[in-house]
Amino acid sequence: MPRKRAAKFVICRDTEAVTHLEPGLFPAGRQSEWSEQNRTLTFSIHPLWNQIAIAVAGKQPTEALPKRVPVYEQDQTVHICGVPGVPDSRLPFVNDTHAVFASLQEVMSKEPVVGMDGLLQMSSMYREAMLRQIRVLQEASETTEFIAGEVETFHAMHAVWHLLEIIYLTSNLPGLSTSIVPHFMEWLNFNFPAPLAEDGERILDSGGGLALNGELWAYVRKLALRGHVSVLANTLERVAPVKGLSAHAARWARDIAGIARDMPLGSSEETAGSFNARWRRWNEELQNAAAAIASLQPSEDEALEALYAVVDVMRGNADAVAEEGKSWQDVLGAMLLYSEPTALADRLPSLAGAVVEQYHITELSELDRGLIALLNHELPEFLVLCNRIDPWLAAHMADLMDHISILDMCRGAFAVDPREHYLVALSELYIGHENLWRVALDYLGLSGTRAARCVMAEYAMRVPLESDAKAQQVLRVCEKYGLKSAIDRIHRQLGRRQWQRGRLGAAIAHFAVVSDRRSIGLICDQLWDQYLASGALEYGPVIDGVMAAGLRHERLRFLTRYRDFYESYRARMLAEAGAILLSILVEEIAPPYAVADLLVDAIPLLEGDELVFSADQTFELMRCAEALRQSPFPTGRSVDEGEMSIFSVACGRNLARSFVTI
Amino acid sequence: MNTLQVQPVARKVTSVCWLPPRAGQAYTDTELFFVTGSSARHKELVLWTTDNPDFESGSNKLSTEDKSLAKLVSKVTHDGDVHDIAVVSIDVIATASSYGTISIYDIQSDSLKLRESVTAHRFTNGEPAVSTALSVQPVNSSDADIASCGEDGKIAYVPLTRLDALQAYEVDSTVVTGVCWPTPSQVAASTRAGQIKIFDRRSPAEVSAVFVDTSNSYSFECIASHPSQSFRLATGADTGAVLLWDIRNPKKPATEVFGVHESNVWKVRFHPTDSSKIVSCSDDASIAITQWVSDKPTATKDVRYLSGFFNALSIGCFDVCPFTRASLLVAGSDSGNILMERSASTDFSLF
Repeated sequence: MPRKRAAKFVICRDTEAVTHLEPGLFPAGRQSEWSEQNRTLTFSIHPLWNQIAIAVAGKQPTEALPKRVPVYEQDQTVHICGVPGVPDSRLPFVNDTHAVFASLQEVMSKEPVVGMDGLLQMSSMYREAMLRQIRVLQEASETTEFIAGEVETFHAMHAVWHLLEIIYLTSNLPGLSTSIVPHFMEWLNFNFPAPLAEDGERILDSGGGLALNGELWAYVRKLALRGHVSVLANTLERVAPVKGLSAHAARWARDIAGIARDMPLGSSEETAGSFNARWRRWNEELQNAAAAIASLQPSEDEALEALYAVVDVMRGNADAVAEEGKSWQDVLGAMLLYSEPTALADRLPSLAGAVVEQYHITELSELDRGLIALLNHELPEFLVLCNRIDPWLAAHMADLMDHISILDMCRGAFAVDPREHYLVALSELYIGHENLWRVALDYLGLSGTRAARCVMAEYAMRVPLESDAKAQQVLRVCEKYGLKSAIDRIHRQLGRRQWQRGRLGAAIAHFAVVSDRRSIGLICDQLWDQYLASGALEYGPVIDGVMAAGLRHERLRFLTRYRDFYESYRARMLAEAGAILLSILVEEIAPPYAVADLLVDAIPLLEGDELVFSADQTFELMRCAEALRQSPFPTGRSVDEGEMSIFSVACGRNLARSFVTI
Repeated sequence: MNTLQVQPVARKVTSVCWLPPRAGQAYTDTELFFVTGSSARHKELVLWTTDNPDFESGSNKLSTEDKSLAKLVSKVTHDGDVHDIAVVSIDVIATASSYGTISIYDIQSDSLKLRESVTAHRFTNGEPAVSTALSVQPVNSSDADIASCGEDGKIAYVPLTRLDALQAYEVDSTVVTGVCWPTPSQVAASTRAGQIKIFDRRSPAEVSAVFVDTSNSYSFECIASHPSQSFRLATGADTGAVLLWDIRNPKKPATEVFGVHESNVWKVRFHPTDSSKIVSCSDDASIAITQWVSDKPTATKDVRYLSGFFNALSIGCFDVCPFTRASLLVAGSDSGNILMERSASTDFSLF
């Protein structure tokens, strides 16, 4: 029988987004008529940002149309549609957690490997950032629906993160009590606080009417359910002497306060046996109290009913806990605290399962399902639910799980590596914000995978380079992560841009980095052509800048030597000028198309009063001219035969003079 | 590594500048003002105020848990990314923009108001060129010149009171990355090609001198002049090095190289109250304070570093307050933070 392949989690990212443009680009219901008037829609997707530009375009050029088509305002409107990305309010949080993420990758890459306490410290930093963001949002001057949603999201993220921390980090720290219960209760009361402290203050400030306060006993029951035994004891002691309370209720209020104060708390110095013995004795006291109070019932004394419920919960009665608990977290917390105070983390799945099965799936939110998946160690489902809460959570959670070495347990359940996938997805979100391009590239680079590096290279090549300084930063990031192809493309892109702007020196500098000798040669040819057209040699500053940087190229060498010739000639240092000109020709530094121009430059030196070229040197010049005439390869420039004739005559005369001089 | 205090501002802060004290004497001002410029999504100038450390008591350490480093006073939209800010007078600042414009802002009643702007830098094809830095001529005159440099390879001179009388001169074939005034009649500029070029204001089109370190191939990001010794210049390089120049001998300038950073040095300054120290900020997210005057050999020069744990990205700008006895430094970063280091100590030494 063939084995059924286990279904793998395929993280589906295809979401259809529908948007209606206001104002529309064509009249509603008249699309056919509009289209017949040579109209269609064109669009362009931004290479980086989640934006699309849409506009009306013509199917044919206007000139090709038989009659003129009127143009309306909508025809000249460009709509920019964007998917909401990272809101500005999240920028501090994104930057803070990016710093933590980068530090975490750095410490985990070094020896010796960071232990659980180091990971716990990093995890705490993430939580601090979430709490800081919640505080900032709550202090906003205006509470909008968006801000309320963000607060809820961050509360959810913190609850999830905190639970993972206590299950996999805190409970595994050496030297502390290994029971999960105190940590779970801390998690529960921090993330789902109940009862609220301000409610307690309000109730207890009732003064003489405390016993008649309708909220009092619900408050007391909640204190017991959540394990706030000290507050419970203090409250009962305040309630006991107040008027309006029956004698029985007053007595049991005092007694239960004492029992609550005696609740055993575990410590690392105490053995399990000793603790269990104390716990049994305390539980017996609760059983006796429950029996005694029950014997006073039935009665219509609300206080006694509440006190009985408190004792019932504290002695671990599952039915009482289920009745008092408003949520599965309440019930699970109370069951752990009062029934299994020494439970380890591995007891959580079975206990959580028993509690949650009482709830229908529709009663559970996405946060609930995520927490339950975590409690049940269903890590693949947990990660998927984290992503639904927030992409930040899934990415950083997968990363932390990888460092804790628990991601490997569920990697096989995914069709792709979940850490890589979620980090790349997060980067795609960040790259859409102009302030976060570097954060996005860092996440891709620090993910450490080949696929992420490929994505990173593609993004890096498309980051808008609005300034030279930003270009330097992008190049620096590419160098850091070894993106050679991206560096090459960016330099070429910058070189072409500078070339178009007429900044030839800057263009040469960029092409030189990537050894694009062809482009450098073309720019040099352009400089030469500009000189020939204007007659003024102005390329000096251009080549000075790049030569100072140590660039070596045959065309640059030619231009430099020619400039030396030019300046010597202008200074009437003719012998030196002649020597330089001859060396350019003899050493074949000049490009083929410039040889004729150089030979023409030699004419005034040949015809001048001063004998610049010796006989041998003149023969060399003539040899160059002959080679030019017989050149089998087209030079690309036409040779002026008239000028070459003058050159030949000048050579002849110079030879004659040189012989006579000898 | 000492820790900078961090205040997230959700802006990519690309320039920062302390304003002169309002009352004219720092010790009577319980609050100090500074201006930041930001770029990318939020192109704006923001006026901030912070407590004068000379008036703080007790431990004098601000806790970011219960108190902000600085309070926002006002902000105004800026045309383009703010690449540099310079103080012109007690209530006037000048800014350099990514659109090649120099803008003059008045500070009136704790608000910033644009007075005038002029486009100083363009490429030959008409496209605006980024104005990379600017510097105000150190003269006590209302008609001082503002020198601005840009990616078009030009230095533009703009009289403060007559922006339309701008004069621009092409001085380099690559990007001119920084400019400063060693003297009221002399301008020094740093280039992407690793050169320092000196110009006389009276003959701005001609290069008076060019200096280059031939032992290494640098690309300079910034330049600064010594507050009192006009022959001393400092440049920041793309390799993370800070170079100290003595240009008294134009044919053979003396250079001292301090390898203080691991990445591009975006800004460098001589400390305003102790010019034996050079302060620099870098793409490696740190600020370095280098003691360059010392009896020790170069390799063991003292360097103190400042950074913030929650600031992982480039620190692109900083300014040291010259008006307080206590040490007060403010910086801006790509992480969207304002960073500050303050010490109430009256000891000028930072070590």
